[in-house]
Amino acid sequence: MNKEQALQSYLLALADDELILGHRDAEWTGHAPLIEEDIAFSNIAQDEIGHAQSWLRVYESLTGTDPDTVAFLRDHNEFTCCHLVQMPKGDWAYTIVRQFFFDAAEIVRLGYLKQSVYDPIREIAVKIYPEEQYHLLHTQGNVERLGDATEESHRRMQRAVDEAFGQALGLFESIPGEDVLADENIVPDSKTIENEWLQFVVPVLKRSGLRSPVDETNGSGGTDVKSWYGGRQKEHTGHLKQIVTDMQQVYRMIPGAKW
Amino acid sequence: MNDTQLPIWEVFHQEKRGAPHVHVGAVHASDEEMALRMAKEQFARRLECVSLWVVREEHVVRTNYDDPFFFARNTDKRYREVHGFPAPLKGKHSE
Repeated sequence: MNKEQALQSYLLALADDELILGHRDAEWTGHAPLIEEDIAFSNIAQDEIGHAQSWLRVYESLTGTDPDTVAFLRDHNEFTCCHLVQMPKGDWAYTIVRQFFFDAAEIVRLGYLKQSVYDPIREIAVKIYPEEQYHLLHTQGNVERLGDATEESHRRMQRAVDEAFGQALGLFESIPGEDVLADENIVPDSKTIENEWLQFVVPVLKRSGLRSPVDETNGSGGTDVKSWYGGRQKEHTGHLKQIVTDMQQVYRMIPGAKW
Repeated sequence: MNDTQLPIWEVFHQEKRGAPHVHVGAVHASDEEMALRMAKEQFARRLECVSLWVVREEHVVRTNYDDPFFFARNTDKRYREVHGFPAPLKGKHSE
């Protein structure tokens, strides 16, 4: 893969994660357990979709294909999002834990992308980093409180951590071509992000009274948890087709319509 | 049934530095940190904002609508109102 192809591959993976998670978060609009969180998650959903759009504009500058075409006219089996973001919204605890895992990964990844030698990536990373900082503050706050608030909240949060942890490791499946970009200091290596992510999330879970399937000292090397890989290779769960079909339904009725 | 509602926090919003903090509504939240975050979500999303205050609803000291005398204005107080003085003719000095 040459550098140009590698950039396209990386930008699509970043955009697909944001786009699909944004739509999963939006499924809470009108259904969240608190009106305040309902609005908060709708805001977060819009932010994530906005981030997807930013990455897709860079993609457009390389390929000439506009963001709407990429988002709404690609088949689900062309997406390269990880499995974590495509899973059904589950219960509120699952949504909070998933979003926390994602936001923590974003903060680590964007921290590197803010230093990228490739200007378009660096400029966007600088712009969206503060929004992800805020998302993390919000979701981490919820994890710390719900982790040990009541017997029920603890039980549901622990179940969500057990369920989402391996899925979250799929965020760090190597993106095709990333080695080419990492060699040129355009993006970080996925393993580097994973190790920093583990060092961050495991202590937060511990402080919140939640068990992690790995402990912070053995890192990813010592974990027995199965990482949910495949998403970056376009091998998906059955849930992706459902969310992509929902998301594209209206656009495909009259492609190119102006709203 | 147990009351599962979180405490209520009154929210005050400041549009720019030096401007007054204006009461804009209330949020439910478990504690002060979450109250500020929820207030940001509800009230600083569309409005410009540089600062928010949150105050536990029960910490607001308030008058009682039913006190018959507290705000009574039974005698003529028009002399205290600005519109008690005739304004100069509009436009008189404008040309």
